[in-house]
Amino acid sequence: MKVVYKSEFYTLYQSKKDRYHYLDMGQKTVRLSFCQLLALRHKVLSIPIENHFDSYSNQHGFEVLMLCNKEHLFVLNTLEVLDLKNLVENSLSAMGVSSKSVLLLQ
Amino acid sequence: MKDIARQNMSIKVESMDLLNGQIKMEAHASAIYLAMASWCEQNGFFTSAKFFYKQTEEERGHMMKIFQFLVDVGGNPISPEVKNINHDYSSIVDVFETTLEHEVAVTKSIHNIVLKARELGDITTERFLDWFVLEQVEEENTIRDILDMIEVTGTEGVGLQMIDNKVNDWME
Ligand SMILES: [Fe+2]
Ligand SMILES: [Fe+2]
Repeated sequence: MKVVYKSEFYTLYQSKKDRYHYLDMGQKTVRLSFCQLLALRHKVLSIPIENHFDSYSNQHGFEVLMLCNKEHLFVLNTLEVLDLKNLVENSLSAMGVSSKSVLLLQ
Repeated sequence: MKDIARQNMSIKVESMDLLNGQIKMEAHASAIYLAMASWCEQNGFFTSAKFFYKQTEEERGHMMKIFQFLVDVGGNPISPEVKNINHDYSSIVDVFETTLEHEVAVTKSIHNIVLKARELGDITTERFLDWFVLEQVEEENTIRDILDMIEVTGTEGVGLQMIDNKVNDWME
């Protein structure tokens, strides 16, 4: 497997054998098709991070993230969400389908 | 190393985001025109109401065209959330003036995506939008013609009713 991008907490790999990406989330590794990766990106980028700094909108600063047709469930804190946003954006740049690159938390 | 990303998607991610934004804008337009149809019905402008029902369908058609394009290129089309639909208008003139403003905003948005696609070297998206660029010329022109007709007819006396009847000329 080849590393596409490594952020502080997560690593995205591309398989040499099949047509999938593998996202190492620490507790477990999730297999993603490219479509699922785009869906993950949409979900992650839609998380309103400002709410994490507003005790009204998001009292505890956690996000629940479900992936791959609700097959996986993750609970992420503020730093993890930021890191994941960073990972998805930079991974797509690394893959050559996006020219955006962001640097967060570093 | 297989280029999985490129094999799965034939446009750039930034273009996809902008096109999803455009999907939202077309859905918003469709909803606004439906609100205008409602206003027209309630204020006795029945021909104009028909005109806006037709516009509503057309805008949904535009939205679906982009949605389908995103499917075709392997993107991730997002069903839009539509809110803040104004239902208050001061007159039929206000309705058509707001329509023109809205169409101009849509034109600008499409031109912006064309320019961004060009910047990204995303020829597929740029070519796809050709149809929309020309469609906007037509749309703006229709509303401008109706506003000209309103100007000539005048809103005094039976003017308003004449205006409504004449709107029929812009419905093939
Ligand atoms: Fe449109
Ligand atoms: Fe339009």
